[in-house]
Amino acid sequence: MRQGFTLPAQSGKTILLLRPAIKVSEQSTGGLPEPRAEWTDQARAHIDAALVEVQRQLGNTVIVAPEAYGEDARRVAEHMALFGAVSEAVIQYQFFVGNRLPTKKRDNKAGQFDWSLGPEVARLPGADQADYALFLYTNDQYGSTGRKMLQIVGLVAGVGVTSGVHAGYAGLVDLKTGDLLWLNADGQMGGDVREAEGARKRVRQLLEDFPGSAIPKEDAAPTVQPEATP
Amino acid sequence: MIGRLRLAASALGLALALVPSAHAEPALPPPYAGAYQPQGVDEQGLWRQMDEEERRFAESDMVIRDEALNTYVRKVLCDTVGQDRCGATRVYIVRVPWFNASMSPNGLMQVYSGLLLRVHSEAELGAVLGHEFGHFEARHSLEELKARRSGTDVLSWALVLANLAPSYDMVRAYRDLQLTIIGNFYRFNRDQEREADGLGIRYLNSSMLRPQAAAQVWERLMAEFAADARAKGLKKPRFDRIPFYSTHPPEAERAATLALLARPDAAQRDDGATRYRAALAPWIPQLLDDQIKLNDFGASEFLIQSLAEGGWTAPLWHARGELHRMRGAPRDLANAATFYGEAVALDPNHAEAHRGLGLSLLKTGQPGPGQQALRRYLTLKPDAPDAKLIGMMIPQEVPAP
Repeated sequence: MRQGFTLPAQSGKTILLLRPAIKVSEQSTGGLPEPRAEWTDQARAHIDAALVEVQRQLGNTVIVAPEAYGEDARRVAEHMALFGAVSEAVIQYQFFVGNRLPTKKRDNKAGQFDWSLGPEVARLPGADQADYALFLYTNDQYGSTGRKMLQIVGLVAGVGVTSGVHAGYAGLVDLKTGDLLWLNADGQMGGDVREAEGARKRVRQLLEDFPGSAIPKEDAAPTVQPEATP
Repeated sequence: MIGRLRLAASALGLALALVPSAHAEPALPPPYAGAYQPQGVDEQGLWRQMDEEERRFAESDMVIRDEALNTYVRKVLCDTVGQDRCGATRVYIVRVPWFNASMSPNGLMQVYSGLLLRVHSEAELGAVLGHEFGHFEARHSLEELKARRSGTDVLSWALVLANLAPSYDMVRAYRDLQLTIIGNFYRFNRDQEREADGLGIRYLNSSMLRPQAAAQVWERLMAEFAADARAKGLKKPRFDRIPFYSTHPPEAERAATLALLARPDAAQRDDGATRYRAALAPWIPQLLDDQIKLNDFGASEFLIQSLAEGGWTAPLWHARGELHRMRGAPRDLANAATFYGEAVALDPNHAEAHRGLGLSLLKTGQPGPGQQALRRYLTLKPDAPDAKLIGMMIPQEVPAP
């Protein structure tokens, strides 16, 4: 979380939700992701609904970014890509202390969190009606039956086989300054996003450290997996 | 031990039998028919994933949105594959200075700007676009997903089973299988490319364009690679060998096959070179500029020379001047000045050529004519972004105090 940023609970802020990047696939026996259209659609609907609900509990209003055209649409696309790049850098270089960027080393001594998308975010469509923008990304791969069989036989043979990938991250950006206020990332998340209840659990986990949130931390990893993949 | 080995060996035999997976499926409608909707869980998944990608891709800054150019490239695609087919695709021209184009399972076609620089006629462009459309029509992404999946499935089982009997022979057998499957996968990919080549030339054969142009694309590309290797002092590349990991058939094979498959009685057809030159003329300066910035002297020189086969123009001379001036050795600057001179002789109002000429002359010790050329540049383009910088190289007449 950015230093000096506080968002008291029930402060009634408006949050602009940009189209979440959601990928749901099945993991083949050999470990390839096979994209699944139906699961992705279900996950998108459930996650959108869960977000609105969880934010209402926090006292915030979620508005969905309006459909954009022309120059506006290009600006949205560019900022989505920029957020992806910045959050990847944060995950790589900020969350792991031993991996700091040379230019960020001195800043980090004070435990700083100083990343920004730049003030251009104020020109995003819908930005004038909201205080913050929320970016969301999830990537899920559910192990197929074959993958699970392989995992069991692998256990006997002494080969570590992982089944399933459940990664996600969410970030909050100040729409006036473009500063990244808060970012949460997790490579092993819980909650089956293909179902309404699971999606609520996922969203709660994504937002567990959300500013002003009182969501209790949950145990994210459902099962402990061996770490090697064939 | 022996019993175990035999068991594992038979498992491997079974695995090998599975690799060339035969697909016996009920015939699906072609993916271009009407408003086709993807069928089956794999195709739906692939299409939905690409639909989501396309939402972002369509708004990317890499896409060239010029309406005239887009309409023209689309028309060439439609002229090649036919009006009934081309409606199923969205063509995006991407600003990437390489020879390539690609096709996604849902009908998103990417055409790299570098391709537009390297083909010389509608028939040549149509040959490449038709090849890409062939991938779409034959559902190659879907087939590739299935092939990759069955290959990795077998390999994973083999790994786990081989670990049950970890002997030296077993490790060797596993490695052999691994090589076989990986090799098979690349072979599968090359065969898909051959199939797409076949479909592409079939479209051209039944179009109004000259199908013999397809082989020309590859011949010119080989000549470019050879010129590039020559400029770098490398051995002449081999165009007839298939490396283990190559995803495409070798260029010489493609050129020979395409030449063979082109309808002989269509050799007299129009290849649309004049129309192509006219449509691309406003873009050639930018495409050449992107190419020159690749810092690939041999290939860029080859491309300029091959464009000049249809006659030297001011933009071509200017690009050649830029290419030599960018490399910047004294002898390059002398050559560059000559080339810029040719450009301004053909088009006295070519501002950038005056700029390049002036800068080259200043560096080769001819300040007089150099400053004169720069002055001409500033007269032609007073609001140029580098006007102040260039202005500093010209002595100002100091007003009397």
